[in-house]
Amino acid sequence: MASEALHTAGAHASSHEEEHHELPARVEPDVIASELIATTEANASGVRNWAWILGILSLVGIVSFGVKIGVEWGNQAEWGYTAAIVAFLFSAFGGAPLVAIAPTIAKANWVRPVARFAQLCSLVSIVISIWMIPMILNLPMLVVDGARRRSIWFEGPDVSPHVWAIVALTTLIICSVGLIWAYGMPDFAAMRDHGTGWKQRFGAWAARGWIGSTVQWRTMRLRIGMMGTFYFFTFVFVHFMLSTDFAMSLVPGWRDAIFPMYHAISSIQAGLAVTVIGIWAARKYLGLEKYLHLDQFWSIGRLMFAFTLLWGYFFISAFIVFWYGRSGSDQMWIDYLILGPYFWVFIGAVLLIWFTPWWWLIWNKVRRSYNGTAIGAGLILIGVFLDRVRLYVAAWSVPEDRIHERFLTEYPSTVYPDVFDILIMVGAVAASMLLVILATRVLPILSVWDVQQFNLLYRPVDYMKTKVSLIGKPD
Amino acid sequence: MSKSVLGLYDDPNQAADAMDALKEAGFAQGTFDVLTGTPYPEGAFGEHVPQHRLFRYPAFGAIIGFTLALFLTTATSIAYPLVTGGKPILSVFAMLVILYEMSMLSAVISTVVGIVIESRLPNVNPGVYDARITEGMIGVVITTEDDQADSAIAALNGAGAMEIKQA
Repeated sequence: MASEALHTAGAHASSHEEEHHELPARVEPDVIASELIATTEANASGVRNWAWILGILSLVGIVSFGVKIGVEWGNQAEWGYTAAIVAFLFSAFGGAPLVAIAPTIAKANWVRPVARFAQLCSLVSIVISIWMIPMILNLPMLVVDGARRRSIWFEGPDVSPHVWAIVALTTLIICSVGLIWAYGMPDFAAMRDHGTGWKQRFGAWAARGWIGSTVQWRTMRLRIGMMGTFYFFTFVFVHFMLSTDFAMSLVPGWRDAIFPMYHAISSIQAGLAVTVIGIWAARKYLGLEKYLHLDQFWSIGRLMFAFTLLWGYFFISAFIVFWYGRSGSDQMWIDYLILGPYFWVFIGAVLLIWFTPWWWLIWNKVRRSYNGTAIGAGLILIGVFLDRVRLYVAAWSVPEDRIHERFLTEYPSTVYPDVFDILIMVGAVAASMLLVILATRVLPILSVWDVQQFNLLYRPVDYMKTKVSLIGKPD
Repeated sequence: MSKSVLGLYDDPNQAADAMDALKEAGFAQGTFDVLTGTPYPEGAFGEHVPQHRLFRYPAFGAIIGFTLALFLTTATSIAYPLVTGGKPILSVFAMLVILYEMSMLSAVISTVVGIVIESRLPNVNPGVYDARITEGMIGVVITTEDDQADSAIAALNGAGAMEIKQA
């Protein structure tokens, strides 16, 4: 071990007794393997029932999707809620892997039990690619009524946003699967060695002959770093495309250089929230208290708090330009996207993304509790969903024949979701959750090898009059 | 005829001793290795750490993707020379999105290919192995000629192997 870190998260001076929590106990590697692999079989906790319910809801969503395609095809305004749910799912589930990537690259120890779930969330890009079909097909061509509409595609062919959105999403899916596979290969081997039935056969196939040799572990560290870096670069790029092509360019006069970054920042905030809720559920319903400690919740809670404050910073940075700009298009941005037909949705979003989580997560006691952090995460997720509704439904409800206006002068009225929109949105969320749950049937929800390494490099030790975590950091 | 011999240990220190014993018995670096279910810090067993060339794959892929994208954007701009916003026909900023996207896609695909090649995967003939390695036991494996197998087994046993397997 090149260096060792004294980690005093568990215990400080006695004057801070209320902030103490138990240091995690060490667990033997064979116990870790057997207990975590057992979670792939777990049914006592009702995983199968949940899978059925989510499967039925997904099916209902897909049927509604088909019906809506048949009834509302070509009517752009009718697809605003589908666009909103796609943007929300991409924001929430797409942002989750970054919770694993950044701390892993920074060699943080707390992230080990969390990384697998966070990465599995990226599989939702497969659901997104299906739900995006009507968005891509209903997105106006670059040339509308013989004139080129304003977009980032200054010289591209007519279908540039459509084609390159597909390419970007394909890259993201390859990154997602590549990252999960690269990180999961040793656990596929563990499934091969200790699983049963088809899961064992699948593990043997996916492990590709993994035996844990020196060269395999050495390249493992590199490929996690590389695939993680690629995921990050593709993630921000897809945010750029989604926010510009599928929202901003649809509203005449909406020009906001900060918007793609705002989109990505709120996505990371939502990704943190999804991860918290996922590990909270895993801890509670899969009996993983031994592996998911306060340290994970506390660490993510702090990040979530930081991103909550960042949301305010990014929003104000954009808002202040329009507020002082006072040109027609600046005023339009305020009147349509804030004070306009989605005013109350905006208020709800601000309260739940920023204001309430700010004054909830500000308290140490809240961030150092399982339920407190999960409640904060739930609020943020609802807030991000409302924010995406405000932005995407408003953007998609602008009629195509007004796309060449310098800026909107008359605002489309509020579009409320119909029954199909609601079923499509519920189905999309259910399909996303189902996909993640199904993935945890072939790969343990907590990485066996990473949790084993956590225990290998960690010791609770006495330090003067207190106890501390001694963590070995390789490299 | 070569033979694969595996010694199993439940104590990492014994596995490190086994690696030393194999070295002292005259076996060449690279013919023996340590198998673990979790990554130990590099060099913990005194093992030979092989070099890799994984970084070359994304760099190569990104160059290919970038070149293709440059060709695509340049060729189409020249083939249909439309002046937009008074900017030059070949405007870098209009090409950037496609340059970035194709570089990324190509780099990602080549990295996945690189992972497969550099990790020596798929490992169609993994040799002797034990499923308990993924439960925390440590294997020291050596591939040697038949006539040297006894010497290898002796070295592995001398370090306290709890079980020897051969294939």
